[in-house]
Amino acid sequence: MSRRIFLASALAAGLIGPVLPAHAQQPDVYRIGAILSMSGSAPHYGTVMSRGALIAIDEINAAGGVDGTKLELAIEDHKSGNTQAAVAGMNRLITVAQSPAVMSSFSGPTVAIAPISKEKEVFVINGGGVSLRMIGVSPYMFHNRSLATDLAAAAVHRAQARGFKRIAQIAGKSEFGDSVIAASYEVAKKLGLEIVAAEQFATDATNIDTQVAKLRASRPDVVLNWPTTPQAGLVVKRVREMGMSQPVISMEWTGEDTKIAGVANSNGVEVATDYFSPTADNAMGQRFYNEYKQRHGEDPDFYAANYYEGVHVIAELIRRAKIKGGNYWNGARLTEALWEDPSFASVYGGKMTFQKNGVALKRVAILEVADGQLKLKEFMAARTE
Amino acid sequence: MDLILQLLANGISNGSQYALLGIGFGLIFGTTGIVHFAYGPVFAASAYVMWWLIAALGLPFPVAVVLGMAFAAGFGVLAYLVIYEPLVERGSPSFVVLVASLGLFIVIANTLAIVFGTDAKTLPDFSYGIYFLGDVVVTGVQIAQVLVFMAVALALSAFLKYGTWGSAIRAVTDNVDMARIVGIDTRKVAIVVFAIGSMISAIAAANLLVREGASTHIGFFAVFYAFIAVVVGGVGSIRGAAIGGLLLGLVESTGMWKLPTEWQSTIAFLVLFVVMLWRPTGLLRGN
Repeated sequence: MSRRIFLASALAAGLIGPVLPAHAQQPDVYRIGAILSMSGSAPHYGTVMSRGALIAIDEINAAGGVDGTKLELAIEDHKSGNTQAAVAGMNRLITVAQSPAVMSSFSGPTVAIAPISKEKEVFVINGGGVSLRMIGVSPYMFHNRSLATDLAAAAVHRAQARGFKRIAQIAGKSEFGDSVIAASYEVAKKLGLEIVAAEQFATDATNIDTQVAKLRASRPDVVLNWPTTPQAGLVVKRVREMGMSQPVISMEWTGEDTKIAGVANSNGVEVATDYFSPTADNAMGQRFYNEYKQRHGEDPDFYAANYYEGVHVIAELIRRAKIKGGNYWNGARLTEALWEDPSFASVYGGKMTFQKNGVALKRVAILEVADGQLKLKEFMAARTE
Repeated sequence: MDLILQLLANGISNGSQYALLGIGFGLIFGTTGIVHFAYGPVFAASAYVMWWLIAALGLPFPVAVVLGMAFAAGFGVLAYLVIYEPLVERGSPSFVVLVASLGLFIVIANTLAIVFGTDAKTLPDFSYGIYFLGDVVVTGVQIAQVLVFMAVALALSAFLKYGTWGSAIRAVTDNVDMARIVGIDTRKVAIVVFAIGSMISAIAAANLLVREGASTHIGFFAVFYAFIAVVVGGVGSIRGAAIGGLLLGLVESTGMWKLPTEWQSTIAFLVLFVVMLWRPTGLLRGN
């Protein structure tokens, strides 16, 4: 573990050495930064994301690294969305770990580090955050996770396809929640649907009785449940406890949500989301799935898959940039290499292609919770409106 | 109309939980003058212990609650003896004790995450009823929160009014120097209030464990609402803490009748500011 994870904070405490020359030709190791949610109210994400990234690191290193040079992962903790912690972590990754390539997570922290990415030319790939505000903030920032607004659009289309007219939505009070609610209003208006309630709560709240009471009073046909784990589960629990039997469509659902909501309450919840499933024709996905399952005894979710995929994207960019020679280990050269060919092998199978806005557009899956398990119902075409 | 009645019911239920937390915190704060921010993590730790007793050892819920209360009492007393008392005895300024309390908050919260993991701990086999009163819905836990608060508040009032230790606690709360002069062992009083206050936090933790489960960050909201309840009600007044908690729950819920719910987390501070400006010593402490 010590060879794989470079603890930037430990270095900051005692091992700060002279900064590498800005134009180092060949580093001893490619140190990839990661700013993840390792503590706070939602450490689940950091746990699975770091697991996915570490599996990719180990896999690439076992195959000899990138042209003989090993990869390392330097993890910083943004404490479940604390932007100040994210900025401090980004600065440590640049000055101490000297990582020109960073994987970020959560929308708020990703937006917060964007100015640094832009100024210091740090390549950033986000596999978790879904906010529209992450778009266009740094020319070196990319996303291999569908945007929240794309997922929200898919959920509203799903509601329409099921014949619902009156929509109630609930989200955390955050930049993420605000953007999803706004996007839903826009899509619903275009589709001629009515938003009858839009309630928000503090992002780490454990008491949402008031919000659910107002949802219930609005008498909707369907509830669009935008919070992430664990509040997604909490919403469903309280919605059912308040006697609401309306269908719920979420943007995210994990085992933790089922645990909080209870299996009976979770049954029938639909989820419009990115979806990772290792099919027979997907060798990369199967390799990742098997390794994850062997190491951790559970199935990987798409968050773990995205960070596994993110490491592979960075490794591929290093290879491409190195072939062209010169000072290739920097964010600008990695970005240049990406735009030369924006298609990459995807852990989801086949290729993914980054769009001009930096987002890898993926089809959206509609899953349904049944007896605590997520079952694939169908795929919907990717939409931006 | 249906909505306001539902919000009123929610407010009474949530307010009872805040009031319960407030009287436990207020008992410690009002008697010892120590702003025991680690009250939150003690609350969280007792929820985890109760979960462990039920989920791992298979103990019945009432037994787990009693043991959880005993654990919380011991934990609270230990915090006083190991952290606060040495600082107070050395004449440390109150802000040093406050910083120590915040440090203890972080230590306990992080220890819980290491020991129990960071996933939510729930009681999936524990079911409770859902009741319809006209168009208003209340759960068994919401009703229990109100009844438990009333029972604890009455028991505490009787203890403070009629018990020997209760008289000593009231004397220390009123004037600690005078209490020492008349021979009251203020150290023992501090130990007793830390034990009782922490036990009360464990009862509130049992409510939350049943309702939403235990997670590492629940302690923050517990001590946050308890603190506001005590300051609004008046430091040193148990009845004030209870009224402060109930008021907070009602305003937080019914205040959202016409306002967007995104304002909810701001309401608690508005209540605090309004009361502080109107009556700086709290609702029941007089001017």
